[in-house]
Parts: sequence; structure tokens; C-alpha cells
Amino acid sequence: MSATSEWVSPPTRPELIESLVSGVDRYNPSNVGILEDYLYHQIRSREYDCLANLAILKLYQFNPDLYNPDVVVNILVKALASVPFPDFNLSVALMDDRASNNNMDEPDPLPGLLPYLTNLHSLLQQCRFPAFWTLYRSDALETLRDNYTVEVVGFENSIREVAVRAVKATFQRIGSKRLGSYLDLEGGELEDYIARLGWKFDSSTSVVEVPPNPDNQITSTVVQEDIKLQQLTKVISHAIPAV
Amino acid sequence: MEGGRWQSRAIMSQPRASLWATEEIDEDLQVDVHLAIGNYGQNGLYDDAQPRIDEATLVAVQHQMAQQAAFAQIPDAVKRFIVHFHQAVLENNLAEITVAYDSGWNRLTEKHYSKTEWPEAEVIAPLVNDDQLFLILYRELYYRHVYSRLQPDIDDRFHSYENSCELFNYLLNSEDGPVPLQLPEQWLWDIVDEFIYQFQSFYVWRARVKTKTEEELGMLADGSQAQVWSAYSVLNVLYSLIQKSKINEFIVAKQQGKSEAEIAEIVGDYGSLPLYHMLGYFSLIGLLRVHVLLGDFTLALKVVENVELNQKNPFTRVTACHVATYYYVGFCYIMLRRYPDAIRVFVQILNFILRMRQYHTRSYQYDQINKTADRMYALFAICNALSPSRLDDNILNIVKDRYGDQFAKLSRGDEGLPAFEELFLYACPKFISANPPPYEDQEQLAAYAEDPPPEPAQHHLALFLADVRAQAAVPTLRSFLKLYTSLDAAKLAGFLDADEEEMVQQMMAVKAASRSVSRVGNEQNLLDGQMISTSDMDFVINENMVHISEVTVGRRFAGWFIRNTEHAQRVLDGVKNSPLPLAPQTTASEVESKAAPAQKKVAWGMSKA
Repeated sequence: MSATSEWVSPPTRPELIESLVSGVDRYNPSNVGILEDYLYHQIRSREYDCLANLAILKLYQFNPDLYNPDVVVNILVKALASVPFPDFNLSVALMDDRASNNNMDEPDPLPGLLPYLTNLHSLLQQCRFPAFWTLYRSDALETLRDNYTVEVVGFENSIREVAVRAVKATFQRIGSKRLGSYLDLEGGELEDYIARLGWKFDSSTSVVEVPPNPDNQITSTVVQEDIKLQQLTKVISHAIPAV
Repeated sequence: MEGGRWQSRAIMSQPRASLWATEEIDEDLQVDVHLAIGNYGQNGLYDDAQPRIDEATLVAVQHQMAQQAAFAQIPDAVKRFIVHFHQAVLENNLAEITVAYDSGWNRLTEKHYSKTEWPEAEVIAPLVNDDQLFLILYRELYYRHVYSRLQPDIDDRFHSYENSCELFNYLLNSEDGPVPLQLPEQWLWDIVDEFIYQFQSFYVWRARVKTKTEEELGMLADGSQAQVWSAYSVLNVLYSLIQKSKINEFIVAKQQGKSEAEIAEIVGDYGSLPLYHMLGYFSLIGLLRVHVLLGDFTLALKVVENVELNQKNPFTRVTACHVATYYYVGFCYIMLRRYPDAIRVFVQILNFILRMRQYHTRSYQYDQINKTADRMYALFAICNALSPSRLDDNILNIVKDRYGDQFAKLSRGDEGLPAFEELFLYACPKFISANPPPYEDQEQLAAYAEDPPPEPAQHHLALFLADVRAQAAVPTLRSFLKLYTSLDAAKLAGFLDADEEEMVQQMMAVKAASRSVSRVGNEQNLLDGQMISTSDMDFVINENMVHISEVTVGRRFAGWFIRNTEHAQRVLDGVKNSPLPLAPQTTASEVESKAAPAQKKVAWGMSKA
């Protein structure tokens, strides 16, 4: 079972999008609308399709006239929740520093937002979740919240899932206060969230038990050499004519 | 080819005669745009960059005289070479073409043209009966020489593009279907490789606004020239070659174990000819490279998803292609943060280069391959610092030898950043920006020249360093954890003089750094992979107590033993098969001494069986 198969080709991806992502039609600028609509569909329905969104950025790269900063911000916002996978940087890599369009009626919001988005991304990458929430809720990011993330259905929960992935891999048991600071939840909300994860919460000790998984079970092992017959073919076959 | 042989003097005296009737030039030079990815953003290919030569007789005569003078200056050896080369192409004699291409051209370049251009194609045209196909091939070599030995000027850059278009157009859009031309595999690779190199070189040159002359500024501002070296036109060429040759279908059919006959049916008229077959494959690798240059690392891997990365792949015959494939795939893996995959790819190819070294010392590509190898050692150092591995101690030792200073610094967290930066900038591909400076707008151009955007390499460097920074705490924490089997988090924070909560968050980052997606099984697709643990040290936190475990690797004897046994066998065989040192000259007749080598052959054949 490949860990990336859903990333390469999400089960929710419609056939039309698949044909664009995998075919040469992805270069046709007249298809940008289809891909942009699909992005907004992802935003409304908690779906995510990195490769389709990269295809939008590719079209912007080759056709600066198509550039739409709102779409770019939305792609980056969606990519934040993919940490620890590299989607955010892959998106930024396609964004040309020179592409910012001077012929727009309104000022381009992207140059102002990009440093903050980059910052949010690196906080997630470094697992500094409390700092992420502090920055995300700060006054400086009001525009991002009011104009973008508010439209992204389930945005905050998708970030919590990033934190949950990190906690699951690292902890067997974790204090509820600590967990709450990662999830930006407390009290009843936190307990509900923990219950929905199916994790056990001991209210007397305030400790949450993380179910066992391949990453939080550790064993010391010694790896022994494993010789396959194939490696010995030369040595053995050489012995035959010598007889 | 017959139709292309123009006899008319009038056409010959034109600076750049076309293979086709001149009236049709605009249409003909469209590089198969409709076939592949459509005519996006292309407003006609280009109008002939050079103004038509004045028809006035006087000018024509002067021009002819100048050409005759130039012709007279060509050394006889060069003339003979060109005639011979042309003959080989006419006869489709692959062996002779290979000799001319591999050694003749390079030898004469060293002797006569190490600092100047080869004679212009128009000047040598009489030598080859004005054979248009040969002149296109000649120009391919001519411009490649200009790019590699001299400084191409703007005309060279525009004309080399034009010539590439003519060549690909001839191959792809001939009315009679596939062209029965044969060229050495190496040359076919060089054609694609050079096409992309010139594309990349044009972008780098175009981005430097300040050094442009008035004439250059005028040409670059001319909207009708926008098509020259546009990314769309380059992609068109590559996709057209891929589609015509049905190379992807070929690879898939091969993997499915289809029969020769079935495969021949699948690949069709074009794909069954070696020329198209190889060009198709090389175009896949070319596409990989173009996408990397433009920063699209997922698409780069996606276009080569069918390509198998192993030494059995028949395309490894062209070493330069083989090496380039691994370099670009490995680099993509780095940008996808799949360091174990990158390491495996680099180890494979670096070992291959080490083994090939003895055969390649005299090859003119040897330098190029060596340079790429050096860059891969640097990339290996980076990957190894981010995801330490003992996959291949031999390669690791060479890296330590070559990049010792930087290698030590890489594992020092934030202090190591300059070393990462240095190695990355040295070893990364020559990134380009897809869009030109605003040459058409004086005002914007001045602003651009005043405050140019960062180089594309800096853009990718910043992204890469962000990944490195996210792992900055890892080496220090790991070195502490290795000393314990369990340890209180507060105590660990105390050692590090850090806040406990922040330290615990860093621990999650350490955990994340020890996991990676990697191709461990037999994943078909280069983008596929499974989540694996990449570290020999693992830990888990139970509330506030850190528990640590280590994976130790037992000593490996068998590999060493097998290698040395095989080596001993080779030595023994060598000794056995050598002729006896002192042939008894006095008694041995000539017949017997002749029999000795024959004997040797038999013995060798037996030991091999």
C-alpha cells in the first residue's frame, strides 16, 4: 500500500481533472477555469488535491495574464494542512517572483500575505503548534482569516490534524493541557475532540492515552546480515567448470 | 532528401535557405504545435529574423564574392571531412557517421576552430550539393560549438533556435511519414540535451537586463520574437517527439512482457525506427530536466513515471543520458523531502560512474560526467546530513574526502546553514524563471534593472533552507538521546538550557525528521512510496518520560567476503589464461605460437560458461 497514492491521485478526483493533471491538456490556458472551480470545490467540501492545484500554478507560471492572487492564497492555505508533506513549498516553488501583475485594478494581496503564510508553514513544520495558533489568531492576520480561511470549510480542524499526526507519532501518553495547547482547544471542546479521535482521557490525572501505532511503539533491535543465494551465484558458478 | 537538394544559385545565396519552398516558411516552421499541446500563447512562430537580402545584383555579387573568399580559406582537410561526412549521411552509413561525429569533428575543432567558428553552413553548401538536411545537421554542430567554445551573440541564439525547429520539423512533419535517417545514439542525445541547454542559456542571458546593447534590447522588445525559445515551444517539441515515438506505450508494453510483434504494432511506423525511438526516450529525460529547471518537481517525476531506474534499462548505453536522469530524479527527491530516495538514486549512479571511469577517460563527455558526479557527491552530503544513512560507506568516504569541511559543518544545526547553502548553490540545477523581464515596456524595464528580482536559484534555496531549518534541532537532540535509554523531559530541557514545552515540541520535529516517504518495495511509479523510519535511533514520550531505543547493525562480513572471493577468482582466471612467460623460441614452430592465442580464447570461453 503506497503512502502517496492518495496524494498522487485522490479518490475524490473527477475524471475530467484526472485527464487534465495527467495529460498534455494541463498546459491549455483555457482549462484554468476548470481547475480553479475544482479548487473552490475542494475548499467547500474538505477535499484536497495537491497535483491539480499545482497544475493551476503551472498555468500561471507560463501565462502571467491568468494570475489570480486569491486562487494562489487559497492553494497555499490548503497546502498548510498537508505538513509534514512538502506541498506548501512545492507550490511556492512554482510561483515566479517576477510574476506579480502590475495591471490589476486592486492591489495584489499576495506579497503582503506570503511572508505570514510562509511563517505559519514553518511553525507547523517545526511542530511549534502553540506559536502557530498565536500567530494565526493575531491582529496581523485578520485579512487572512476574514477573507480566506473563513471560507475554507474545516480549516482549523485540518490544522489540528497536523498536530494530531505529530502527537500520535511521538507520544504514548500526553497531558491534556499540553495537547490542548497544540490543538488550541480547552475544556469541553477539548474533551469532545479527544473523544472523537477515540483516545482515552483520564480526567483524574488529566492525561490522554494515545493508542498504539507503528510510530509510538519502539523496540531495540539488532539488524543481522541477510545473505541471499543470488549474491553467491558468481562464486558458486565459478566452482562448476573448475571441477 | 532528394527534394531538398536545391540547385538554384539564387536560393543558395540567401543567408538561410529553407528546406521547403520559401513561401511556406511560416507554416512549415511550426513545430508540430497542433499535434502535441496546442498552439497556446504562440502567435506564429517567427518571421525570418534576417531581412531578406537585397535583390540588387551588386549586393548579390558582393555577397557571393565574400562567400567565395570564405570558402577559399577553409583548409583542405576540413573540406574533405565535410564531403566525407555528407557522403556518410547520404548513405545512411551509421558507422561512418559515428566516426565523423565522435572523432572527426572534435579533432578538426581542436586543430582549426578552437577559437573561431566553423565555416558558415552557406559557405560549405557547395561542398554538399546544398543538401538541406545535411546543412541543418551541420548547423546543429556549428551552433553547439559556438555555445560551448565561444560566446553566442543574439543572432546565434535566435538562429540556433530556428535551426532546431527546422530539424525537429523535418523529422516530425515530413509528408512521407517517418524519415529514414540514422544517427548515432550519442548524437541524438546531444541534440535533445543541447536544445534544452540552449533554452536554459537563453533564459539566463535574457534575465540580465543591464548588459544588453541597443540592438539586443530592440530585438527582445519585439513581440513577434516572443516565440523564440518560449517554454511552450520547447515543451511542444519534447511532447511531440514523445507522442510520435510512442515511447511511453513502448515502455509500458515492455513491462507487461508483450512480444516483439505486439510491441512493433503498438509503437507504429515512427516508434519502430531507432532514431524516433531514441529521440522519444531522450525527450522524456529532457522533459524531466525542463520541469526541474522551472521548479516543478512533482511534474518532473510524473513525466518519467514509466522510466525504470536500473542498470538494465537499455538506454543506459548513452552514459550522459543515464547520469542526467539520476541527477535530476535525485534532485527532485530532495525537493520532495524524500532524502532516503535521493540517497539511493545518487549511490546507484555514483557507483556506476566509478565502475565506468576506466572506460571513459578518453571520452569528450568525461569532464561533463565528472562535473555532474561532483555535484551529486555534494547533494549526497546534504541528504546524508538530513537523513543519516549507512547505505554505502564507500560513497560516504569519498564525500567526506571531497567535502570534508562542509560535511562536518552540516550536522551543526543552525551553524551549518551556510554549508548547506554553499553545497546547494554549487550542486543545484541552473534554475530559470519562466517569464522574461519587461523588455516591451521601457519604464518597467528600468525599474526592473534598478531592482532585479532574486535569481531563481535563490528562490529555491530559500525553500530548501526552510526545510533544513525545521530540522535544525535534530542533531543536538539526537546526540543527547543516544546517551540514554530513558530520561525525564525536564532533565533533558535542563541539559539543553531550553524551555521544557519548546523542547517537547522540538522532539516532535525530531520524530518527524526520522520518518520519510520512500520507495522501499517494488513501487512502479517514481512518486509512489511508503512511510519508513530513517533513523537508527527512535524514541517515544510517555507523558514526561522519554524512552529511547536504538537499532544496531551487526557487523557485515558476507559482502566483503563475496567481493573478495570474486576478486580472487578473477585474478586466478587472469593468471591461468595468460600465456606462459617464456615461450620456447628455439623449438616452437610458427604454427604452435599461432595456436596459443586460439587456446587462450577457448579457455576464456570455458571459464565464462
